[in-house]
Amino acid sequence: MKFSLGRRSATATLIIAGALILAGCSSSVNNASSSNADCGTWGLAMHAWNGYTASAQVVAEVAKANGCTINQTTLTEGSVTYDAMEAGTVDVIIEDWGGGRWKEWVDRKAIQEVGPNGNIGLIGMYVAPWMVAKYPDILDSANLNKYASLFKTADSGSKGAWYEGPPGYTTIGEKMISANKLNFKAIATGSEAALVDVLTKAEANKTPALAYFYEPHTLFVKIPGLDKARVKFPANDWADAAKASGLTDYPETVLVKLATTKLMDSGSVFATIVQNFSWTNADQNSVAADIEGGMDPSAAAKKWIDANPDKVKAWLG
Amino acid sequence: MLHLKKSHLLLAGAVIWIFLSRILQGHSTLELPTADNTSITKAVGDAAGSIRGNRTKSAAFIYFFNPIRAFINGFVEIIRTLISVPRGNAIIPLIGWFGVVAIVAFAVFATSRLRTALLVTSLLLACGALGMWQFTMDTFAMTFAAVFLSLAIGIPLGIWAGLSDRVLKILTPFLDLAQILPTLVYLAPLALFFMIGVASATIATMVYSIPIAIRITSHAIRTINPAPVEASVSMGSTRRQSLIKVQIPMAKQMIVLGINQTVMAALSFVVIAALIGAPGLGKPVVDALIIRNVGQGFVAGFAVVFVAILLDRSTSAAAKAREGFIPPTPEQIKRRRNIVTASGLATILAIFLSRTILSLAVWPNSLIFSKQVADIANTATTWTTTNLYIFTVGFKDFISNWVLNPLETLLANSPWYLSLGAFVLLALVISGFRIALLSLGLLSLIVISGLWHEAMITLTQTIVATLLTMIVGILLGIWVGRSSKAERFLRPFLDAGQTLPAFVYLIPMLGLFGPTRFTAIATGIIYAIPVVVKIVGEGIRAVPASIIEAATAAGSTVRQIITKVQLPAAKKSILLAANQGMIFVLAVIVIGGFVGSGGLGYIVILGGSKPELEGKGFVAGVVILLLGVTIDRIAQASARRA
Repeated sequence: MKFSLGRRSATATLIIAGALILAGCSSSVNNASSSNADCGTWGLAMHAWNGYTASAQVVAEVAKANGCTINQTTLTEGSVTYDAMEAGTVDVIIEDWGGGRWKEWVDRKAIQEVGPNGNIGLIGMYVAPWMVAKYPDILDSANLNKYASLFKTADSGSKGAWYEGPPGYTTIGEKMISANKLNFKAIATGSEAALVDVLTKAEANKTPALAYFYEPHTLFVKIPGLDKARVKFPANDWADAAKASGLTDYPETVLVKLATTKLMDSGSVFATIVQNFSWTNADQNSVAADIEGGMDPSAAAKKWIDANPDKVKAWLG
Repeated sequence: MLHLKKSHLLLAGAVIWIFLSRILQGHSTLELPTADNTSITKAVGDAAGSIRGNRTKSAAFIYFFNPIRAFINGFVEIIRTLISVPRGNAIIPLIGWFGVVAIVAFAVFATSRLRTALLVTSLLLACGALGMWQFTMDTFAMTFAAVFLSLAIGIPLGIWAGLSDRVLKILTPFLDLAQILPTLVYLAPLALFFMIGVASATIATMVYSIPIAIRITSHAIRTINPAPVEASVSMGSTRRQSLIKVQIPMAKQMIVLGINQTVMAALSFVVIAALIGAPGLGKPVVDALIIRNVGQGFVAGFAVVFVAILLDRSTSAAAKAREGFIPPTPEQIKRRRNIVTASGLATILAIFLSRTILSLAVWPNSLIFSKQVADIANTATTWTTTNLYIFTVGFKDFISNWVLNPLETLLANSPWYLSLGAFVLLALVISGFRIALLSLGLLSLIVISGLWHEAMITLTQTIVATLLTMIVGILLGIWVGRSSKAERFLRPFLDAGQTLPAFVYLIPMLGLFGPTRFTAIATGIIYAIPVVVKIVGEGIRAVPASIIEAATAAGSTVRQIITKVQLPAAKKSILLAANQGMIFVLAVIVIGGFVGSGGLGYIVILGGSKPELEGKGFVAGVVILLLGVTIDRIAQASARRA
């Protein structure tokens, strides 16, 4: 018994070893691979929001069409991704809202800012649009306390629920609440999807909701009037999120691209594409809307690329 | 007599506690705005920043961390180029899907039975049909690397701990700690040293799976029959000889079982490892959580389940295969050998085909049914959320308003000294002086850390989830303990619940309950119920039949037997189950930071994405550990005293 077992495992080992040797031989399928090897293999960070997916997918498709091999890696935004760039796992962030939080990594020459990507971000606190018609003065932050009781949920207790942005996003909700003496409690939502859900359900069921949201986003197409439901806070100071007094509203943010020094020094076509990539909020929204409508991200990106050859040509330098 | 006094004491204490909490509401709660740091969290953050800054300069990195990282990265990459990712300019990996299926089928067939091989093959094909082929292969690569390295470290350490009492004594606290610590907590610190990527993910998995390899191996060595060992020593074997020739071969079967358990532990880590850049099935699961795509979550979740069953069956079948009662005849051996050789040749042919025919190399799109599966899951969830809204939201609001909020008011919105004092007194009454002193020390550290308020929010949710878990768990446990039919019926669900990563069902929970504290609680309950049911069921079954017969003969009803005989006799098991349940729940409540539960888990997640809060995230991780150890020690001591 013992002997036969030994024999059997030996046979198995031999066969697997043989298989591996065979695997080492050249494969006829592989000979069909693409020829342009100059661009190289690069990593592109993927963040969860649909606008980001749109931008990143378009960049990836343009790069692939020019002979690059692009590995798309999903990571949460912020330090995790900067660290991944320093470690060499990814090379490019195509849209960052962070306003300089990457300084430490730039100082170490691991990554560099590659300029704006053409999109302008605007964060704000939005109420469900139906409320604007019913309570016309609700959009002035000074009147929010008057309506606080409308926004109560099981999780906010005696205060109104203030649905705050996800962990990685720029958020100063708690400061806004305390500086403006609002009778609200910030509820950590954890994800953008949760915010979309809160606003969509509130508008559909005509229930009250106050939530963090931002442009550019396709939700503004899906919920008409959302752009007119942004609560106005007394604007004054804003330097960076950590130091803001909270009386202020969120300012408009120029969204930027970040890339590893390794990529930008490589002279690769991909570096050129990343350097020159720029498009408008409307461009991003059109691709994002297709993706949200169920189209495969890569197909949606290719559709836009085919419709906008001039813009794409400009990126190739 | 003493028992009565104790319960009176607890009741009186609770009344005073609630009364004081009412009048001191909102004072000294130590609430800290989310974006603020304390001097401690700031110092930790600065330290982390300087470690990161020294990655390219300091000797510790150049000679220790970076080589380890490079070695593990290389190891995983080799496996991945073999089965998962194309190398260089190639468009297929070295072995295409058809070849991998053939190899797995052959390996399982050669080491066990045809039936297992067929099951494993169909599971693997199902992963492909879900459109998850490459993710599945990445998961294989990650799991294989982590298990291989875990065993390379764990088995020798386990043998050593099996032979020496002193080694076991030194290792035990670390093994305990590694099992209490929620997995989310040590991702960020590991990433600081090994960076985001495969290496960190592999090491994090090993932290989780090595203790299991050590425990089972040392247990295996310790429980073998001592007679043959003594005989070998008396016949003049050296220690080394008796270890290699007698002890290890005798413990082999159990060590193989340890391998099975190590594989399952590594696999259960696969999803959360995606947070620090691990390739594999975790990616689509985490993506689905973030974009809240229940359908995609189900598709990826099914693949995780299939891989879990596949690895479990193939490793445990290999362990059991040799137990034939009648030794095979020489003809049978010969025939079997011929079949194995023939199928081996067929495997080589399959590998060859998988490298020459594109549709056998890359899983064809026409054979992917993920969209249909996702659509069914989405439809089912939408139906549930719209039609059972009253039940889901009603139940959620009921628990939130009547259990969660009052308890949170009591624990988190009272002055810190009141809650802390109450815990220490509770520990004193139910667990004794030593544990009370330990709790005082650990809880004071939490106060000093500045995250007391967050800790109380997490604790509140943990307590509520544990209570609900125990209610369901004890009921099911009684059922399982009293009826072997129920046991057979529930066992597959319990096994699945224990191997399935909690992340997978966090997504449908989010669909049902939205971003609330209750989402985390519901997920925690589902995760912890299997272990509670198993322990309670065993406890009920262990009650001697003679006692039950005596009670029946005395005319007791079924209800009386359960409440007066079986439950009191199984008290110790129930307390043990509560302890285990609480540790399981805590691990999930922490992950709940992703779905709106707030508390310590949210701070850990926040620390991962906002550089200025990195230190606070690390400190929150330590506080979770302190909280876990406190809960564990109080509960264990009370179970021992019962």
